[in-house]
Amino acid sequence: MTRESTDYLRRLKAALTGDPATPLAFLCNFEVETQWARHHVGLPAPAAAPTAVVQRMEELGILLAGPDDLIVVKNAPDEGYLRYLAEDLGVGLPAVLVPERTSEDRPTAEDLLNSPLALDRLSRLGRLGTRLIPMGTSESEEKLAVSAQVPLAVPDAATFERVNSKIYSRRVTEELGLPAVPGWCCETLGELRQALAEAAAVPGSVVVKDAYGVSGKGLVVLDTPAKADRLLRLVERRAARTGDDRLALVVERWIDKRADLNYQITVDRRGGVRLDFVKQALTERGVHQGHLMPADLNAGQHALLRHAAAEVGGRLAADGFFGVAGIDAIVGADERVHPVLEINARFNMSTYQGGITELFHRPGDVALARHYPVRPAGPIGFDDLRRALGTLLSPAPGGRVIVTCFGTVNAGATNTGAVNTGAADAGGDGPRHQGRLYTLLTAPDHDRLAALDGAVRAALAGVIQPREDS
Amino acid sequence: MNRSEIVTAVVRSIGEVLQREVTDVTEDTRLFDDLQLDSTSILELLMAVEDTMDVEVDPEGLDMDSFRTIGTLADYLQGLVDLVATGNAG
Repeated sequence: MTRESTDYLRRLKAALTGDPATPLAFLCNFEVETQWARHHVGLPAPAAAPTAVVQRMEELGILLAGPDDLIVVKNAPDEGYLRYLAEDLGVGLPAVLVPERTSEDRPTAEDLLNSPLALDRLSRLGRLGTRLIPMGTSESEEKLAVSAQVPLAVPDAATFERVNSKIYSRRVTEELGLPAVPGWCCETLGELRQALAEAAAVPGSVVVKDAYGVSGKGLVVLDTPAKADRLLRLVERRAARTGDDRLALVVERWIDKRADLNYQITVDRRGGVRLDFVKQALTERGVHQGHLMPADLNAGQHALLRHAAAEVGGRLAADGFFGVAGIDAIVGADERVHPVLEINARFNMSTYQGGITELFHRPGDVALARHYPVRPAGPIGFDDLRRALGTLLSPAPGGRVIVTCFGTVNAGATNTGAVNTGAADAGGDGPRHQGRLYTLLTAPDHDRLAALDGAVRAALAGVIQPREDS
Repeated sequence: MNRSEIVTAVVRSIGEVLQREVTDVTEDTRLFDDLQLDSTSILELLMAVEDTMDVEVDPEGLDMDSFRTIGTLADYLQGLVDLVATGNAG
């Protein structure tokens, strides 16, 4: 049992503040990329509000923060879940701050700015040395830092926005001489037209991505010339209507792959770069599903990633960035590694797993961080889930399951069992909301990991009916 | 185009995106849950609808509610078709 900060957290604090004991106020603003995207013209797309699930993902930060820290969340975590973390897992929990005035349609930083009591508590912590650490900085978090007089532990919004563009990722990769996925940066309609024409000259699909697209959104795969023409027509029509031909897109050749990878670096304030970990990323149709540890790579592939990590980290530091950056990479079907698909210079999903894997992923074991889509008929308590999972939550020779975020299970549900729009459906068996259960599974080998995964699905089916497509 | 033709065009466009024949569906069939479309398919679906129906769609004038079911997408397209008909009549 431990009640202290993990080494992972202490290293993060040392990198960002110079002191491994600096208290931090975590603000896990998963919608930050949407804030940056507002300043750029991407693919034509319907307006999409952040889903209830994405908003409740801020609870993932509880397992990253330590006992000296604070986490700000829109919704108070389930008491049973906090007991599980503290008593069953022995995790040192942070203090939790829920702003007194929250609204589902604004960032949590804006909630704080509208909540004098919560703001005052944050200010008092700031005077005692706490630093504000958002997942990424946008204008809202900058305003909060000024208003609460709590200095940011990470760079300003302009720096974050600059280094988080996929156009930046492509240019840096090419300038550093790293093996890049063949492609084009498009900052005007003319450049998109040119890129699609050049792409059409070679057989194969291309993918067009927003420079600021989040997982599973803001991209379209063009596998026929007709689809490329259709897209161009849509973009041309919009440009004619708005009189603005600016764009922020990348066009890339589709690469047949054996595996997606995600590795994380931490760039400290003095420009030092540390490679934190390499994981295999599980994606389905471009949407993140989970991470497998360790990644299945040979020594040469690992060496290339270490080289890329040092180079990209050095470049981020030179461009004024310090903090955590996740880098997506792929291993082609030909085993060739493309070490930089995109740089996400902010917390990533795997960032939140760092502490819990340090505590529970034993050397030699395999681990899978994944979520299970669930559809409860109404809000359920953590103790209901605990009963459903039973002994799967306990250490056993076949492995164990650790719940890493519970709030997302109830995302979209109200206390009366009714459901919010946008996160609900009324199926033949009555209204159910769509939630997610985030977990970490550890087992001695891949076979037992797969068996554990199957056991979780079966256990959940009895109580909260996972979606069939999960 | 009447309602039935619009629904047929929507189903044909979904089939093109999913690269399979879509059968046994009604206006209540849900795009994401029942047909396994995902957010990355939305733009492709709109592009297919434009070609199938010979209409001009403004993706930014839509919200995600229109993608709940075959019927809700047909509602939006019905509005477009009616608008064009009114414009032509005027």
